[in-house]
Parts: sequence; structure tokens; C-alpha cells
Amino acid sequence: MAGREMAGAEMQEPRNEPVVALQDVRLTVGGFEALRGITVDFPAGKSSVIMGPSGCGKSTLLKVAAGLTPPDGGRVRFRGKDVFQMSERALLDLRRRSGFVFQDGALWENKTLFENLALPLQVHFANEPAAERSRRVVRALERGGLEESASERPAALSGGEKKIAAFLRALMTEPELLFMDEPTLSIDHAMTEKIRQIIHDLKARGRTIIAVTHDAQLTSTLADFLVVMDAGQVIAAGEFDEVKRSHNPRVRAILSEVLKDIASYDTDLLELLDGEPSP
Amino acid sequence: MVAALGRWANGKARDTAYALGFFLLVIKEVFLFVRRRQVAFHVLVLQILFTGVEALGIVSLVALSIGAVIIVEGSTVLPRFGQTSLLHSILIVVITRELGPILTAFIIIARSGTAIATELGNMVVNHEVEAYIATGIDPIAYLVVPRVLGVTISVMALTIYFNFFGLAGSFIVAQLVHPVPFVEYFSSLLKTLQARDLISTVLKSFVFGVITSVVATFHGFTVSTSVTEIPRAAIRAVGRGFVLCFLADAVITLIYYL
Repeated sequence: MAGREMAGAEMQEPRNEPVVALQDVRLTVGGFEALRGITVDFPAGKSSVIMGPSGCGKSTLLKVAAGLTPPDGGRVRFRGKDVFQMSERALLDLRRRSGFVFQDGALWENKTLFENLALPLQVHFANEPAAERSRRVVRALERGGLEESASERPAALSGGEKKIAAFLRALMTEPELLFMDEPTLSIDHAMTEKIRQIIHDLKARGRTIIAVTHDAQLTSTLADFLVVMDAGQVIAAGEFDEVKRSHNPRVRAILSEVLKDIASYDTDLLELLDGEPSP
Repeated sequence: MVAALGRWANGKARDTAYALGFFLLVIKEVFLFVRRRQVAFHVLVLQILFTGVEALGIVSLVALSIGAVIIVEGSTVLPRFGQTSLLHSILIVVITRELGPILTAFIIIARSGTAIATELGNMVVNHEVEAYIATGIDPIAYLVVPRVLGVTISVMALTIYFNFFGLAGSFIVAQLVHPVPFVEYFSSLLKTLQARDLISTVLKSFVFGVITSVVATFHGFTVSTSVTEIPRAAIRAVGRGFVLCFLADAVITLIYYL
């Protein structure tokens, strides 16, 4: 069954209870309409990928969905509760249960790598003994292969190491929901493989992932749910296998542009690129 | 032209409202700071070290110099009018009421005001502030309040330190002009010093500390996306800090002494 296209505010009914639900979200940034009436539900326990051409509002949508950027209009709900109307306690709980990996890492430059990872634990697990928190940080650094860099500042790390560190920091509170903005952008092949492995481990453990990515291989192997954006609007949203069979010319154009590099992995995509409809 | 004027006025009103809102938010978080179990206490300590302890050298130098200059000028001018007895009063008035607080504030604005605005501006551009929010840390509570408290405490302590060194500087030079025993010199000075002068110095230093820190943090957060905005924000923080401190000084002096 082909995935349903988005026309205006038409919405794909999610099969699962949505973990994050956006309803008619609008946002204007510097006089420019970055998000134009977006309605989409991100399913719990699944990996959702947001894709689209550069400048279409993917990262902005991700930050709104994560509750980092308040929209000018519309609602953002986390498990049914309006994120921007939450009490301080509820918001703190949301932050513990979610993690955000920024495109450029966004590590705190005035802190060492150890301190970067320790701070989320100090905020959310203040009652835990400091020694136990330190052990958790050390274990995380060892898992990421960064134990030698614990006392370094982020400026001393390579781009790939910063990305890994950003992942480790986002995972310190063992969140059930992870937002990722271009997790494999601008890093070398070895680090990319490492990060893909981290992401697939998270998926295997049933974490909910919402990612913006142009990484075709990651998309192909990760995505359960696909959101296709163009010019501040969602033009398709649904199960990955359904959306990729969309007949919408714009959706097909975007998907073929992004996924063309991994066509060899997927015969359906070969047909898509050849312009032949799938049965 | 009217439309342009209206837009300008509208923009200024919006900016003023935003600044006032920021200030009130900071005040609220300052009161909550001592009540919460805060990870920001470490930031407060570091701020006091940077703003207060590391400025001791320059404050000592400026204070000694000012004290020396005042005693020299006073010693040469006042005898012409037969008013040598006013020298200590002038020292107290000039140093403790005026120069101590305002020059300390200027030193801190130049050192810490630029550093704070620059640091916060860089954090905004590098998405570090967003990362704090994503972690569950309120940027006002964690980044602004410790800096406001740290700078204010430091300015108050440094002002008292400045006053002491200013008077010490005057004593050193006084030994060259008209040697007087240390105990006699300072006893004479302290007789002239009134409680209102001490209260004035503490009040002014408190207000200047708050102005310096709130203005610097505010302008640091006005940076949005580009690193080229950061030096502009730092310059605005310094300029507006100076102007507001001068205005506050005038208002406090008028209210207090008239």
C-alpha cells in the first residue's frame, strides 16, 4: 500500500501512540516562514527520519519537536502534554527522558569532556553519590573510546570525537527519546561507522529516535517512519516503506536525490529512480 | 518620516520591555538561587575568582595612584586658600563616596563586562545555550545568576579594597610632603569618615555591580547567529554599562546627599 501524501494539513494516522505530536505548528524566523502549519505525529518506539532539501526547515522542526524552540502558533505535545505549557518539574522530567544531539555537537567549551558528561547527571541525579556519577561518566567515555580525552576541552577534540562526545552526553540520563540533527555530517568514514553503530544499538534497544539526516545509508537502515519536508511544510509522512513508494513527484524527487547513493541496497528504489511504479 | 519615527519608537519600546523583562527574570532567579540545590554554585565561585581576585592587582595600582594624586593636588592647592584642614575631608569624600565605587565599576566593566558578553555571545552562536536547555538547565539560573551575584559581590569587595588602598596611597605620598605617623594619619582620616560615607560606598558598589553584570549578560544573549555580532555586543555592554553607572551614581548622590 502506497503511503499517503500530505496535502495541506492532511495527516498520516500513526499506528502507535505518538511520543511527540505537532499540531498546526508555525514559526517565523527573521521575517521568513520557516514552518508553515505542520501537523505530524512521531510514533513511540520507532525511528523517524526527517528529510528534505537544504533550508526546508528540518532542523527547525526538530528543535520545535524537542521543545527547544517555541513555535509562533500551534502545539507541541510530548506524550499528550503540551511541552510549552509544562510546569518546571514536568519540563525537567522531559529533559531527563529525552536527549538532543546537535549538528555541531554543541559541547560546552569551558568544561572538560568529563565535565560535559557529568553535568546532566548532576542536574538529574543530584541525590546519587558523586563517586557513582563519576563512574558512570568514566564508563560512558570508555564505551565511546574517549577515556584518554576526559580532561581535554572540546576544542582539543576532532570533529568525529566531538560528535561521539555529543552522543555520550545526550545518552547520560538514559533517555527513552533521542533527537539527532545530522548525526553523521562532516565526519570521516570510521567515525561515521561508529556513530551508525551507536544509533543502531539504540534502535535495537527500542529507543525512540527522531533524526534529521542526509545520510542515505543511515536512513535506509534506520528509518521506520519517514517525514519528507519541502519549503517549511511536511509533504509526506508515514511508514518508510509506504512513503518511499509515493507517487507525489516532489516526494519522489526528494527521495531519489537523497537516497540515490544507496539504490543498490533496495530494488524498490532502483525502480523509483528509473521512474517505474512499484507493484 | 512619521512612519519611520513610529517604527523607531516601537522598536525602542520593544527593546526596553525586553530588557526590563530580562532584568525581572534575573531578580526572580536570584532569589531562587539560594533556595535551590544548584549546580551553578561552582560557576559563582569561578566568577568571584575571575572578577574579584584576579582584579586585585589592577585595582590596587589604580587606587594607590588615585590616592597619591589627590593628596598631591590637595596639598598644593588647599594651602593657598588656608584650607589645609579640609584635605582629609576631601580625600574621604572623593575616594569613598565617588572615585572608589565608580572607578572600581569601570575596571570591572572593562574586564568582566566584555568577558561575560563575549563568552555568552560565543555560547549562543555555538548552540551551547540550547544544549543547556536540552539538558534541563535554565540558562538564566545557570549562566546569568552566578555571574550577577559573582560580579556584584566582587565589585562591593573591590570597592572597599579600593577605598583602603586609595587612602593608603595618599599616606605614602603624604610621607614625602609632610611626614605623619601612620596611626595619627589614619586616626585623623577615620574621624572624618562618617557612617553615611560607608553606606554610600556600599550602596553604590552594589548598584554598579548589578548594572555591570545584568547589562553584560543581557547583551551577550542578544547575539543570535553570527560571530561578527559578538564584538558589537561586547562594545554595547561596556558603553551602556558606563552610561548607566554614571546615571546611577548621579541619582544616588543626589538622593543621598541633598
